[in-house]
Amino acid sequence: MKPLLSALLALAIVACGRGKAIFNVDAYSFMSGTGRETIPYAIPPGGGSASTVQKINLPPGFGKSIVDSVRITTGNANLFNTGGTGSIGFALFFAADSASTYTTSAALNVSSTAVSGVQGPVPVVITGDLSSTVNSLFTQQTLWIRIAAVGTNGGVTNVTGQGVLTALVIRVVVEDRIF
Amino acid sequence: MRTGVVALTLAVLVLAPARAAHAQFSFDARRIGMGGVSLSRDGNVRRYNPAYRAVKNRSNISGAPKFSIPVPLGLIQFLKDHPLNQLSHDPTFNPESSAFNPVELMNLVFNPPIFYEVKKAPAPTNDVEFTIGRNQLVMNLGGARVLIPEDKFGLGTTSRLLDMGVGFAGFHVGVMGFLQYDVGFTLDSMLRRALTDTVVGFQPSTNYNILGDGVAQVGFAPTLSFATRVMRGTGGSDNSDDGVYVGVAGHYYMGGTYGRATGPGGFTTGNPIFGNTPLGILDDTLYTSNKAFGHGVGGDAGIAWITGPFEVGLGANDIGAELTWSDTKVQRIRYNPATDSISTTLISNHVQSKTKLPITYIANAAMRMGTGTTVGGDVVNSGRGTAIHVGVEQRTGPFAIRGGIARDQRKRVQFGWGGGLRLGPLGLDVGFWTHSNSLSPQRAITMATSISVY
Repeated sequence: MKPLLSALLALAIVACGRGKAIFNVDAYSFMSGTGRETIPYAIPPGGGSASTVQKINLPPGFGKSIVDSVRITTGNANLFNTGGTGSIGFALFFAADSASTYTTSAALNVSSTAVSGVQGPVPVVITGDLSSTVNSLFTQQTLWIRIAAVGTNGGVTNVTGQGVLTALVIRVVVEDRIF
Repeated sequence: MRTGVVALTLAVLVLAPARAAHAQFSFDARRIGMGGVSLSRDGNVRRYNPAYRAVKNRSNISGAPKFSIPVPLGLIQFLKDHPLNQLSHDPTFNPESSAFNPVELMNLVFNPPIFYEVKKAPAPTNDVEFTIGRNQLVMNLGGARVLIPEDKFGLGTTSRLLDMGVGFAGFHVGVMGFLQYDVGFTLDSMLRRALTDTVVGFQPSTNYNILGDGVAQVGFAPTLSFATRVMRGTGGSDNSDDGVYVGVAGHYYMGGTYGRATGPGGFTTGNPIFGNTPLGILDDTLYTSNKAFGHGVGGDAGIAWITGPFEVGLGANDIGAELTWSDTKVQRIRYNPATDSISTTLISNHVQSKTKLPITYIANAAMRMGTGTTVGGDVVNSGRGTAIHVGVEQRTGPFAIRGGIARDQRKRVQFGWGGGLRLGPLGLDVGFWTHSNSLSPQRAITMATSISVY
């Protein structure tokens, strides 16, 4: 029954008085074991991207809250390149539904990592503040995240391989509005 | 839904600490300065001990004023801090303000700003942190964790709304109105642990419940009471109060209506926790009276012994008060997760049920020494927990100093101290009182001021 769970969470927020509510959302845990933590890529000459989409459930009852900031505090991935020479970066998109993650602007872009031939694992760190345009999404009970591997390819053959996410924790700081 | 959630949340916060401010609050700075004990023969002793109907309340003996007028320094300060013409922009009352603190607002409700808060209990302002994963929900309430109740919490009291009648030769015939309610909640061990454990948190496929039990009944009772002095003290003058007093009262309770609800409300977490929607749990039984006039009898009894400077009393109310309701409806209220709806099923109708009024009591003692010193104490149970007050007053000429200690209904020790100055028929009294009426683990200190008229 959502009302009671909402009440308990709201109780916790009220109990903190004027403090903030902080959510550490382990987005990786929603992907782990489903295959969605892996992004196979085949970047053609000139560049391209590949992505994975995941739904994330959040506690109910914060629809009127105001999000102060959203930041990825812990994010790690490994690149396993199997061929070609180029670079692979990551972009994160957030939306209220799956389809909209393909039409919205990236909330975070992670700088590219050069890859060449058979190589890996190449560690990539994914951290940074998300664009404030996605703040309101984190007050809803569900949101969708799309992680895209964005590649450049200056060669004549595809850059192939896969990016494997190993950790992704999103820290959401909420200033609650209980009325 | 959010409004309901907020309402429930605030209600829980209001109920949670089992506060009984009314039992600790007095407009008399003298009483506050003595830890809550009343050395006069009115107030609680007359309410709970029918023997005191036969005892004269002599202010010249007890040193008590005829009445006290509170000086609301707290109200003056409050209006200065929160001008009425700016309330709409006041962060205290404006949830849209970044400085709005709901705990401070609730503390204001618990502690009406009649008297001046010398030391406010600090409202928790720490951050609350949630760790959320597909199969993980951990809440770290920080310092606010101490607000999670360990035992049954709620509120309740037995009140006599009116008590009127006529008396002659020790007898008193009248009618009293009564109101009794008791609403209690208990977090089950799993829920309490989930709210306080910062490592494990909530578990998948686990029931988390709040067990509720509430009853409310109201009615009136024709009453016949008798109080008299059964034994005069030896050596005292005819004008002396010395002696043994007894009082009894019989009530024929006529309940107007009552309702009772009991059962759990909660949810079962999914497996994984955020993989499935939690399933609701609600399986309560509701009793309501179809017709008025639940009947029952009960009584009050009391005894008081006064010898010279010493007096002691013991009184109890609503002894054996059990009401029989001849026409009751019993319903079962359940939540059906499959249809996401609440259903009500009639279990039985037009059946008999019974309710009880809790026994309330007071034991009091006071000793007035010839040196201007008066000590006293009382043990009061007004229907939900026992409060103990012990206090002393030392009068020297026009001056008085006072002190006291108490154990409140939440079993917390509180302290009172103060003083007074009497000039003829008027006196000015100041009393300080620690209290735990705020949503805070720390005590606050209130300064009460009042003018006494002798």
